[in-house]
Amino acid sequence: MSEPLRIVIVDDESLARAVVREYAAADPGIEIVADCANGFEAVKAVAELKPDLVLLDVQMPKLDGFEVLELLGRDQAVVFITAYDQYALKAFEVHAVDYLLKPFSAERFQEAIVRARERMRAKTALPPDEDEISKFIRDAKPRTGPAGRVLIRDGANVHVLPVDKVDYVEAQDDYVAFKSEGKQYLKDQTLSAVEETLDPSRFVRIHRSFILNIDRISKVELYAKDSRMAILRDGTRLPVSRAGYARLSQLL
Amino acid sequence: MHPILARPGRLAAYVAIWLPLGVLLAALLALQGVLGWTDALLVAVPLSVSYGFLCLSAWYVTGGSPVDRVGPARVGATAVIASFLSSAVWLLIARGWLGLIASFGRWADASATFRSAAPTFFGFGFLLYLLAMAVSYLAAAFEVSRDAERRGLELQVLAREAELRALRAQIDPHFLFNSLQSISALTTVDPPAARRMCLLLADFLRDTLALGTRDRIPLSSELALVRRFLAVEQVRFGDRLQVDIAAEGAEACEVPPLLLQPLVENAVTHGVAHLLEGGTVRIRAERRVASLVVTVDNPCDADRPAGRGTGLGLRNVRARLESLYGHDAQLRTDEADARFVVRLEMPL
Repeated sequence: MSEPLRIVIVDDESLARAVVREYAAADPGIEIVADCANGFEAVKAVAELKPDLVLLDVQMPKLDGFEVLELLGRDQAVVFITAYDQYALKAFEVHAVDYLLKPFSAERFQEAIVRARERMRAKTALPPDEDEISKFIRDAKPRTGPAGRVLIRDGANVHVLPVDKVDYVEAQDDYVAFKSEGKQYLKDQTLSAVEETLDPSRFVRIHRSFILNIDRISKVELYAKDSRMAILRDGTRLPVSRAGYARLSQLL
Repeated sequence: MHPILARPGRLAAYVAIWLPLGVLLAALLALQGVLGWTDALLVAVPLSVSYGFLCLSAWYVTGGSPVDRVGPARVGATAVIASFLSSAVWLLIARGWLGLIASFGRWADASATFRSAAPTFFGFGFLLYLLAMAVSYLAAAFEVSRDAERRGLELQVLAREAELRALRAQIDPHFLFNSLQSISALTTVDPPAARRMCLLLADFLRDTLALGTRDRIPLSSELALVRRFLAVEQVRFGDRLQVDIAAEGAEACEVPPLLLQPLVENAVTHGVAHLLEGGTVRIRAERRVASLVVTVDNPCDADRPAGRGTGLGLRNVRARLESLYGHDAQLRTDEADARFVVRLEMPL
């Protein structure tokens, strides 16, 4: 056996982790590098340890398996583990290697491991088209309805930002910055992608570079011909484009 | 469709019955000396079979006046009139048939033969039609009883299906799958614990089945069921799930079965399970003057995304309370300080 398959086990139930540990221990080609009881630990472990495969429970407190995957990106393969079969389709939409239904046998576990190894071989041979995948995920997204919160990964840490607390979102080079209560959180995403996940009745694209939470508006001032400024409750001034003003007045 | 005409096999058997009857009629005619044996057979057998077809009408006559609706007097009158008419029709056919055979030179005087044979024909036709009607009534009654039996079976199947559906609604299948996963883990980690878990699960399922069939159970039984459910979940969640139940003085109150169980299940799956550190599911029951008040409260994730969970469990409990007590029962939910509280009040 060449390089061992380095795996991270993520499940909030210790007994569920024990089963995976037991099955994995029987395969000398597998190395368990971390064992996490929740999504936050998982994001930290994956960021620091760069495993080949994450075995990820779907139902977990605070961050569910899909949210963890969204934060992790696509550098490692993922096998979902759950007692619920209704997430299978969604799991394959986000390119999970496999989907294990609890309880599962050692044979079924091995099958998933074989698939993960195949996926890794294929990946090193042919790097995937990242744009294709992120487009695919974005396409799949709106079906779940507007997001109730924004998940932001900051190295090994995760910020969970309820959308009510987002004042506005600003495009910054390759990132978007979520502004909330005087703090700023950077996320590797495009402003258009953010726009699609937010509730369109509460967030408006007022400018090429800004999405605004309409609850935060104090007033809109005309300061030059065809050029306006939105003044927020905290005094922040944001530019409003002509198209942005049209969208804003439609909503207000 | 007539039951006899519906299948060729039945029709053949029916015709076969009328052949010996035709021989009987021939014998009557021959013994009376109206006709010779050969002629009697030649006349009687075809007429008998044709009368067989005529008698098929008895099915419709009996269908038009069922005994249980029109009463025996009218049934009797109908039978006599129908038998009389059909015999009369048959006599006309017999007259024609005799005439036809006579035209082939068998007898000189067909009318004379008919006159002497007519009373026998009439009596035979009358009695057989009555018999056909009686058989029709019997067949109809048999059909009705078989229908009733089938409907009874169908009802039983429906009732069983409803029971199963109710059971499915009461027990979340994921609860079973997750429990089996825990057992699967324990079999190598801690075999005695795996066995304990199997027994807990078995007791819980048995209780659910047994209590579900009853109208009212003491609160203490419902709480015992809830404790079993929570014990199973505690194996899964470990220290994250704590339980605190107090119902002093209210244990004897009679309650509808499996009313609290879904609320407690919600407290675990939508409450404690969403918290990293877990928490305590607290159940309080208190007996008032004329009512019982039960509260189930649990910590919950205050900033969880809205719309998780379908609210099905709560809706079912509400619907059951309404159908059992109307406006006398109340179910209120309240969320404050990261705790979710369900308060249930029902008359005693």
